[in-house]
Amino acid sequence: MFLNLALGCASVICCRSSPKQKALVTRLVKSGTGKVTLAIGDGANDVGMLQEADIGVGISGAEGMQAVMASDIAIAQFRYLERLLLVHGHWCYRRISMMICYFFFKNITFGFSLFLYEAHAAFSAQPAYNDWFLSLYNVFFSSLPVVALGVFDQDVSAGLCLEFPQLYQEGVQNRLFRWGRIIGWMFNGFSSGAIIFFLCTIALEHQAFNSNGHVAGRDIFGATMYTCVVWVVNLQMALTTRYFTVIQHIVIWGSIIYWYLFCLVYGAMPPTLSTTAYKLLIEALAPSPAFWVVTLFVTICSVIPYFTYLVIQMEFFPMYNQRIQWIEHQARLIDDRLR
Amino acid sequence: MSSTTVPSSSGAPGSADASAVRRNSKRPKYSKFTQQELPACKPILTPRWVISAFMLVSIVFIPIGVASLFASHDVVEIVYRYDLDCIPASNRSNRADKVQYIQTPGDKTCNKSLTVPKRMKPPIYVYYQLDNFYQNHRRYVKSRSDQQLRDASSEGEVSDCKPEDMLSNGSYIVPCGLIAWSLFNDTYSFSINSAQVNVNKKGISWKSDREHKFGKDVYPKNFQSGGLIGGAKLNSSIPLSEQEDLIVWMRTAALPTFRKLYGKIEHDLEENQVIQVSLGNNYNTYSFNGKKKLVLSTTSWLGGKNDFLGIAYLTVGGLCFFLAMAFTIVYLVKPRQLGDPSYLSWNRNPGWH
Repeated sequence: MFLNLALGCASVICCRSSPKQKALVTRLVKSGTGKVTLAIGDGANDVGMLQEADIGVGISGAEGMQAVMASDIAIAQFRYLERLLLVHGHWCYRRISMMICYFFFKNITFGFSLFLYEAHAAFSAQPAYNDWFLSLYNVFFSSLPVVALGVFDQDVSAGLCLEFPQLYQEGVQNRLFRWGRIIGWMFNGFSSGAIIFFLCTIALEHQAFNSNGHVAGRDIFGATMYTCVVWVVNLQMALTTRYFTVIQHIVIWGSIIYWYLFCLVYGAMPPTLSTTAYKLLIEALAPSPAFWVVTLFVTICSVIPYFTYLVIQMEFFPMYNQRIQWIEHQARLIDDRLR
Repeated sequence: MSSTTVPSSSGAPGSADASAVRRNSKRPKYSKFTQQELPACKPILTPRWVISAFMLVSIVFIPIGVASLFASHDVVEIVYRYDLDCIPASNRSNRADKVQYIQTPGDKTCNKSLTVPKRMKPPIYVYYQLDNFYQNHRRYVKSRSDQQLRDASSEGEVSDCKPEDMLSNGSYIVPCGLIAWSLFNDTYSFSINSAQVNVNKKGISWKSDREHKFGKDVYPKNFQSGGLIGGAKLNSSIPLSEQEDLIVWMRTAALPTFRKLYGKIEHDLEENQVIQVSLGNNYNTYSFNGKKKLVLSTTSWLGGKNDFLGIAYLTVGGLCFFLAMAFTIVYLVKPRQLGDPSYLSWNRNPGWH
């Protein structure tokens, strides 16, 4: 009954509480409402409460380091809580959701293209790609951009986060990690994988691959498809990223360039190590215009649907933070004009 | 898009100078990286950028599409399916008959004629095309020994090649494995007006295969000497690096329908010329309902005959142009209203979409 009464109030003050009572109140709210609770405190008497809550924020300073040692996050002054929640909390929520959705997307694109190939290989589990290409996909060619997204992305600047606290509701209402969004990203992955596979298959059918009459065997076909996959996932990352620093440029374009370099280096190793990829890029792929023409076509084709979706969403159904991005953009334009 | 530095936190009230002096000693060193204030580009999809992007794609794609379509139309191709025609009528009724025909030894030459539809300039490439042949099956692809092919001393590295690894007396088969064992053995010879047309069978494999993957001192040994013969026999006095048919065959195909290079014809074929082809129909594709086709084709800068790329480029280029026009009209008819900032106030009921 106490809980129901307290929940009906805008704010509740409990004074003269012992540490045990603080912890018990926190537990009551947590289990009674089932919501995420945050506790903030600076003294040794707050330790119980900090540990009980889902998120414990300790303030270091006048009353010693006890609270800090028991907390999840430590700050230096109470007023920094505003920035912690509205800026960093908002950014972190967005970063983690985008990172997870994108991870599903890139692995589904990769895996689905392989799966579709299996349908054409009598389901015998013969991969379309060379072994090392398979192993290093998640290590070198598509992982750094995601890490950069998860660490650095900012959809709205810090100042505007504080000015429009409504943005924080995005996290409270779990706007970015609903099933609809997750399935949307997965669907994007399936369609990208399918587009890549079918376009590559039809474009590189059984006819000659270059003007010397050679045809495209499994190694050429696999490498072309893999190049398209690497381009597509990195371009999608470039479209998703809202905040391009030098680091983003290096990791996104760097991953793509790194793929070509890797092909060169791996292909230069003796055939005992490089098996089917021996001299693949320099001898077979790079001199053939068909490789570049097919890669360009498949990459752009895979990205157009997502790009169109983004354009329509940004223009007609902007999300809350996108409205603020528009405002920021307009303000910047006015600033530039006044200067 | 313009580069902007994010302003530092506006949440902190003006720090009192006295406490600033005391706090400075504990404040961590400021750097743009740790404070997440790196100079950054914040691209936003304004109408200008959207329309430019679509127009750029269509401007790049349409010429490439036209060029690809012209290249594909320049290629002249003759495709002739002969696996049914080359079986005598008496054996054509069902699969068992066809298989029995192909498996009985004897001369299986069949003579057909092809007409050249358009002038073909040299080099004219001769291919054989197989349908429904899964050269990309995992067990098949695995069944080879790269060390054995490269190096005469590694003759014994036959672990992956079962059952085509060694004879019953223990001596090794070179080259081992199912890929080599199933080497295609149909032959084609061409003549025009009773004059033999020379088919150049040198240089049909990739150079890196010839020089680095197939040894110059490795000779075939015990090849096709078991009970079941799967394909062609090899001349055991020619080293593997010169057995180009084998090299071409062993570069496994990607899909169940594939072509492999058989040879090149180095002189012109005029329009309406009739070529007499003498096909040696030896290879058994009847057991698995495969098809065999003979292909003569010229090439262009883009490769062989495939209209898909040209048409697809034109289609996507046209689609992007249409989208650019559509978005222009939309942006003109219904320009973006700058949102009322008071809508975004703190006390607003968070019931937005």
